[in-house]
Amino acid sequence: MTTREERFVALGAALTGIGPVSLAGTGQVAIYLGALDRLLPTGLVDDMLDRFDLAPEEADAAAAVEVILADPRLGPVARSLILLWYRGGWTQLPADWRAEYGASPLDDSRVISGDAYRAGLQWVVAGAHASGANAQGFGAWARRPATGLLP
Amino acid sequence: MSEATHDVVIVGAGVAGALIAKRLTAAGLKVLMLEAGPASTQRYTDYLAHLDHFHAAAAKGAESPWPPALGAPQPDSADLALPTPQLPATNGYFIQRGPQLYGSTYTRTLGGSTLHWLGVSLRMLPEDFRMRTLHGVARDWPLDYATLAPYYEQAEHEIGVSADVEEQRYHGLSFRPGYNYPMRRIPPSYSDQKLAAAVDGLRVPLGDDAEAAVRVRTYPAGRNSTPRRGYEPVGAVDLVGEDDRDSDAEARTSDLGGRCQGNTSCTPICPVQAKYNAGKSLAQADRRYLTIVPQAVACRVEVDGGDGRVTGIRYQHYADPKAAVFEEKVAVGRFYVLATHAVENAKLMLASDLGRDDDALGRNLMDHPALYAWGLAPAPWGAFRGPQSSSGIEEFRGGRFRARHAAFRFDIGNDGWRASTGAPDTTVADAVLNRGLFGAKLRDDLAGTLPRQVRMSLAVEQLPDPGNRVTIDPAHRDAFGNPRPVIDYRITDYTLAGMAAASEAARAIFAQAGITDCSKTTTELPFPAVDYAQQTFRYHGMGHFAGTHAMGADPASSVVDPDQRAWRHCNLFVVGSGSFPTMGTSNPTLTLAALALRTADRLITDARR
Repeated sequence: MTTREERFVALGAALTGIGPVSLAGTGQVAIYLGALDRLLPTGLVDDMLDRFDLAPEEADAAAAVEVILADPRLGPVARSLILLWYRGGWTQLPADWRAEYGASPLDDSRVISGDAYRAGLQWVVAGAHASGANAQGFGAWARRPATGLLP
Repeated sequence: MSEATHDVVIVGAGVAGALIAKRLTAAGLKVLMLEAGPASTQRYTDYLAHLDHFHAAAAKGAESPWPPALGAPQPDSADLALPTPQLPATNGYFIQRGPQLYGSTYTRTLGGSTLHWLGVSLRMLPEDFRMRTLHGVARDWPLDYATLAPYYEQAEHEIGVSADVEEQRYHGLSFRPGYNYPMRRIPPSYSDQKLAAAVDGLRVPLGDDAEAAVRVRTYPAGRNSTPRRGYEPVGAVDLVGEDDRDSDAEARTSDLGGRCQGNTSCTPICPVQAKYNAGKSLAQADRRYLTIVPQAVACRVEVDGGDGRVTGIRYQHYADPKAAVFEEKVAVGRFYVLATHAVENAKLMLASDLGRDDDALGRNLMDHPALYAWGLAPAPWGAFRGPQSSSGIEEFRGGRFRARHAAFRFDIGNDGWRASTGAPDTTVADAVLNRGLFGAKLRDDLAGTLPRQVRMSLAVEQLPDPGNRVTIDPAHRDAFGNPRPVIDYRITDYTLAGMAAASEAARAIFAQAGITDCSKTTTELPFPAVDYAQQTFRYHGMGHFAGTHAMGADPASSVVDPDQRAWRHCNLFVVGSGSFPTMGTSNPTLTLAALALRTADRLITDARR
């Protein structure tokens, strides 16, 4: 049986191109899911997960994500979710979306936490580390960068 | 009202004050140090709270880990992000009267701006001390490179500078035979190596001068590297028992920070304190002779009306950094040192009516207004790794062209486009929101782009201009009733022509290296604009305040003498980069540290007399 968190990770993997193990390894899955539940209208997260579940096969995941991204209600949320995984911060939804579907006071651009910042995937795809954390060690910077570590 | 008399009262726990305190206490002099901000950098656990504050901050500017106390406000780079600045700009701590916005900031917390400095520890060039004689502009210093050289050595050891001396001999920089820096150079980044391989030897024309041949070289850095024989690197500060002199608890440093880890975060905070901060010097001071009073805002220098001697420093002591509640006290000593930053020194003296007979006070404020150049390297060069930068290009710092336009130097970043565009966040946002990428395509695009990001800072010299100044105005006060600095600031053609030459040199370097130039001067950049010869430059401050209480040989045109003693107040020393008559192109910390150590020696002689 697939849990809600696992479905959220599967969606995240299709959106970000980063594998589920790496997403789970950020330690942020429950935190991000909880943050979305709080700041989005009731039922929206589940609608997005349901929509994605219609295409569970990996080959169809990209197509399912395209449908979600093209959806006026789900698309902007999915794009902010991509940014959340990569950057560790939420990006406020567009003004027209907020006018149409409701503007939560929790929907503001902010870093979720120091942990979330440090877990941002943008650093890892760059072959680097979060600025101010997870340093690679003395002199590592003198070597050719490692790339292609993910997913 | 008065507290116990000390030999020396020092205002400000930044690098200048800390180095003087360490040296004076080693000589057995009793020192009282007032610090306007909190002492939240002395225990490593408190320091980690600053680090997490930075990680969780939405805006990650130089000040982001260091929120100010209510009574010790400070400028913030976010103050400058004005779409169309209305002058005077009063939205930040400074009252900016223009015509240009002064771009730099500083930190009022124990440790001062060394908490967020980059660590660049260049000496000034010998020619920088003789601008009038050699180039016919600005003014000469009242002392020369040879006089300061022994103190440069001492400052390099106090700060803990990593460099190889053989790489630092250029433009007349000389070193005592057998001298070397206390630690080996920071290894140049992979990006530095690739750039050097591509551009070393490139000849860049500089007007009618002989052209300059570019060389990428590591700069001396106040960051711990591999120590040379006999030198022990000083790591993170973790003071215990600082208020308990009866116990044998002493200043201790933790096991962290003995060597740079490459956190790519020198500015705004080194997580392990492998980079020098002034707290390290305070931790090494003889605590039996040192009393530090944090949360003590100096508000008036009390002066005897007869002979001009300083009789005390009035200060506002607060318990709650968030409340406008304080108790006024007076610190009394035999000698006084103002070491509270170029702007704050001038502000405090002006607020004490010391400027009435001293027209030079507050004038000749300088900075290194700087441009960014950024582009994409032809291959992944490994951005976002290592110390924030490790190398620079120094060839443009000196030469005959300085008769016509400003000198400049390049700092080569290891942190992608973070400083110039806010990458990687903005790179990701652009890919997702503007280009509609997602999934594997997004990941591969970012993996192919981010490691190729290259950035240089082009820091340009500024000459002393009496019209560029700090003043005070009773109409503008902070929460404790102290005056806010009023800044008049203009970037003249001499500097603007230097910016133009620097931009051309950067373009030539990028072209030679196969770097796709992505530099922009458009309005979405949060930097002030200045126009020159059909170009618009977007400039930022380097944090290199200088010149507000410049030294000189003549009391009529300078505020302090070559020992940094106030001409009009024989027991008052005013120290820091505010004492610089000119500033050349070197980051000012090493020079102000050398001057501070020299002043400490003068003070010891005086105090024992």
